[in-house]
Amino acid sequence: MRHYENLVIVKPTLTAEEIQNSINVIEEVIISNGGEIAARSAMGMRKLAYPINKSERGYFHVIYYSVAPSAISEIERRFRINEELLRFVTIKYDTNREIAAWEKMVEKALKGISKEPTAVEVAQAARASEEEE
Amino acid sequence: MSEKRKYKKRFCKYCESKVDFMDYKEVGALRFSLSERYKIMPRRLTGNCKRHQDMITVVIKRARAAALVPYTVTRKQVITAPFENLR
Repeated sequence: MRHYENLVIVKPTLTAEEIQNSINVIEEVIISNGGEIAARSAMGMRKLAYPINKSERGYFHVIYYSVAPSAISEIERRFRINEELLRFVTIKYDTNREIAAWEKMVEKALKGISKEPTAVEVAQAARASEEEE
Repeated sequence: MSEKRKYKKRFCKYCESKVDFMDYKEVGALRFSLSERYKIMPRRLTGNCKRHQDMITVVIKRARAAALVPYTVTRKQVITAPFENLR
């Protein structure tokens, strides 16, 4: 088992529930390939630094998990098929220093979950603040 | 000495604060090593040591792939949005 981190960007055109559903699908892909999700953190709706497939914004979600290295190619293949994903970035944490950093980030993400609202609420709050503007 | 030193003697800011690992998601921290056109600043200008420069280049390239930092900035974008999405 090796430690990994995946950042996924979900299409901004979906509603909050649809975003939550597609994130559940993504996590299901990881779990069905033998992965153990350690933590997840929602970065929320953000402006992209450059347009991807003509969308200017995207919903960022980070998943920390550990899985056997051979399963990564299958997970990435499933991500590539998924049309709701704009982009995904897989990071490997291999050396001792990186693993220590990974554990620190997992701890931080777990702490954040208890305080921060869920993805649906974040999306709704973002939409509400937009309407005010 | 015929050749005068043009810049102040540089030191590595990351060594000073003992950075062991950089996270590509903390975009604000990458700003130091990026030019205003989002190019990676060379070591001779920032004074970073080789080890930390290697770390920051990997991290910046990851952040670019994740659309957190742009690859290129055209002239129009420079005028409208300088460092706007890094906040």
